[in-house]
Amino acid sequence: MNLLRLVIDNLVRNPMRTILTSLATMIMVLVVTGVFSILSFLAAATTEKAENMKGIVSERWQIPSQMPWSYAASLKEGAPYQPGDLKVAPKDSMTWSFYGGSTDSNPKNRSVNTILFAFCLEPQALLTMMDDLDTLKGPPRKDLEASVAKLEQNRIGIILGRERAKSLGKAVGDRFTVYSFNYKDINLEFEVVGLFPPGRYDLSSAIRGDYLQSSLDAWSREHNGQLHPMAGKSLNLVWLRLKDQKIFSQVSDQILTNPSFTSPSVKFETASSGVGTFLQAYRDLIWGMQWLLAPAILFTLSLVISNSISINVRERRTEFAVLKVLGFRPWQILLLVLLEALLVGVTSGLVSAGGTYLLVNNVMGGLRFPIAFFGSFYIPEAAWWWGVAIGGGTAFVGSVFPAWSARTVKVAEVFAKVA
Amino acid sequence: MTQLFAVLTFFWNHRPETLAVALLAVAGLGLISRVPVAYSAMNLVVRWWTVSLTIFAFVLVIGLLIVMLAFVNGMYALTKTSGQPGNVIILADGATDESFSNLAITDVSDIANQPGIVRVDNAPLVSRETYVIVNQPIIDGAEGRPKRRFLQVRGVDNPEISATVHGLKLMPESRWFSDAGVGPLPGAPIDAAPAVEIVLGNGIARELGLDRKPEVRAKAKDAERLVPGDTFALNNRTWLVVGVLESSGGTYDSEVWGKQSLLGPMFGKDNYSTLVIRTKDAATAEQMRDFFANKDDKGYTKAKLNAIVETKYFEGLSQTNVQFLIGAVIVAVFTAVGGIFGVMNTMFAAISQRTRDIGVLRLLGFRRSQILVSFLLESMLLAIIGGALGCAIGCFADGWTANSIVSGGPGGGGGKFVVLKMQVDAAVLSTGMLLALTMGFFGGLIPSISAMRLTALDALR
Repeated sequence: MNLLRLVIDNLVRNPMRTILTSLATMIMVLVVTGVFSILSFLAAATTEKAENMKGIVSERWQIPSQMPWSYAASLKEGAPYQPGDLKVAPKDSMTWSFYGGSTDSNPKNRSVNTILFAFCLEPQALLTMMDDLDTLKGPPRKDLEASVAKLEQNRIGIILGRERAKSLGKAVGDRFTVYSFNYKDINLEFEVVGLFPPGRYDLSSAIRGDYLQSSLDAWSREHNGQLHPMAGKSLNLVWLRLKDQKIFSQVSDQILTNPSFTSPSVKFETASSGVGTFLQAYRDLIWGMQWLLAPAILFTLSLVISNSISINVRERRTEFAVLKVLGFRPWQILLLVLLEALLVGVTSGLVSAGGTYLLVNNVMGGLRFPIAFFGSFYIPEAAWWWGVAIGGGTAFVGSVFPAWSARTVKVAEVFAKVA
Repeated sequence: MTQLFAVLTFFWNHRPETLAVALLAVAGLGLISRVPVAYSAMNLVVRWWTVSLTIFAFVLVIGLLIVMLAFVNGMYALTKTSGQPGNVIILADGATDESFSNLAITDVSDIANQPGIVRVDNAPLVSRETYVIVNQPIIDGAEGRPKRRFLQVRGVDNPEISATVHGLKLMPESRWFSDAGVGPLPGAPIDAAPAVEIVLGNGIARELGLDRKPEVRAKAKDAERLVPGDTFALNNRTWLVVGVLESSGGTYDSEVWGKQSLLGPMFGKDNYSTLVIRTKDAATAEQMRDFFANKDDKGYTKAKLNAIVETKYFEGLSQTNVQFLIGAVIVAVFTAVGGIFGVMNTMFAAISQRTRDIGVLRLLGFRRSQILVSFLLESMLLAIIGGALGCAIGCFADGWTANSIVSGGPGGGGGKFVVLKMQVDAAVLSTGMLLALTMGFFGGLIPSISAMRLTALDALR
């Protein structure tokens, strides 16, 4: 207890140095927490699950995947075609078509404030299949259920992400037309029936898949039966949720051997594998963040702390000599210096990481860093202990040498100089 | 706010000049300070341990910034050098990118015969292309390499014309693929299935080469990259490299070129996705763009088209560059602020060690401002040494290759997966030195002011 009081007294004795070291630690921990949050999210997104796995069916060779809509019905069931084949329940499947356009009919006026990309899907799939929405609880879940119910009743309904609604200047109940740029001449009218809960889907929107399909059919009727150029390419992805690896393999076999899916041929992969493939383009960037940026900042932080503690130790050599004369053992002096550094490091790290968590998640609405299909990242709860670990770890590394130097202060030498 | 942004943009666009002015200002401080610069320098030597730690921190922060900026610089260089000023890219109406474009075969011949297109030996310089992004599983690849990648495949009708249009050349010992697009594998039996003949961009040749297992690379003609005669597997076929393009520094370095009539149908895209026409100069390209886009209803009306001057098309793919640049700047600024606190610590310690020196200097008649300049110079000297070393270390990043993506962002259509060369140039180095000087200035300013405010009596007490 006395040692702790001594530690605190020493830190308070030079408040400027303590504050500067603490501020440097906080800033560096903030950056590293941000970097770690992005990396940990991407790592989680690409980690294979053993149970409750999601798989994606997509066109085998081409990007973007464009399959005929006729594939949808069978693929949603896991493509059973032989007696005894497994059949996936409707609640465990989802089809995706991507519809993009602008609220301005003039292509030259397209901007981030007019464009909209929508997932075209079965409304119920929003509650059962969409990542993060399927695990939603409490009032946000109830709000989403209400929006989904309205979408089921309203063919032209659209659920908007909050950021997207803000940039478009639309609120629930508003109607507007979107002029498509990937489905030429399929310009759709929408009515906003709800908003996504804040977070991952802030920039997204969702519409009914059957609305897009019926619009393509209507186009065909208006053009004497001629098919729309995108009619045979309007199914982009099919999602399936499967219980475990064994069932995943079985369904995979069904899909890959089913003779109905040959032109174009399809592939089936886990969601994590699909995400991982997209992230390949960013692999050097991610490598740089993981192995250059984060270590360099941690090392810089260690240097800053080491510098501060070194200065401290050098200025207090006489004090350490006096402590030795008073009976302090060398290890106690080493501990004293280490504890001073650790207290600053751990406290600053905790405050910084906690502050980053609250600021980024509650005020900023996530860390904006668009990579692949991820627009913004949130700081995980684990960041609280990251801060403690980073602050404490760098403080320890940075103070070991100065602490050792304090431990080895020779009383005779110090007093000889003083004399 | 707008004015501040304009000022910052001006300085950003003139970084080497800004650095020169900043260094002149530091030199000017040295000249007007009556306290000898050697005094400041010697003090750094005396406190070598803390000074070394501070310099090391500078080296890390600045080195990191240089590497990040070299990456972004490489991306900008890539999008800038990919386009030819006289070229116009023609896509289907409504298509924002080649991946989504489908041009009717019947329209293509008519477009190619329009006046204004440069002709060589009476043939129009028009590159007819089908661009597809292919999902390539990498079977039996090297440890630590990707298991799957998106390969950008460009099918062209006439490779010589396409290469002329894009300003690309084959490397020595390379040839273009045959008219059929297939050919026999070297040493294979006469009845063996022919291989798909392709030409690789310089960057992707390296990437594909690194996918091979170490034992395969050890026996290869070139361990670092695929060269003519090498093969790889895709779509249940063997692909034979018959040529490698010289590095152009553009997006074409990351592509695989083959025969359009073979590759298009192979990946479900029978039609052309893109026509690239060569006009005599940039001004004509603008006119042809307006003509094919049917601007003001006075142009081409046989088909609805989206025409873009090639240089503008690639400029439009710089949205990711901007995002990465902003990310790099934010990280650099935060790290620099952390570094500034470290410098402050060092300088406060320097002042507390030399309080008596300050008292003596004041008694000798040195003014407060001269004391301030002296300590500020010491801090700047620290910054210049650390910054220069950081820049020197960051220079090693020059020429490194990295994978990335360039895209037009939301509404800009698809992107391109690219292999880029990181570039450290004068502007990047100037940014590093400017950040170092800023850290030195702000890190030294408050301690210097505290030194300046000391009275001779207090200092000597």
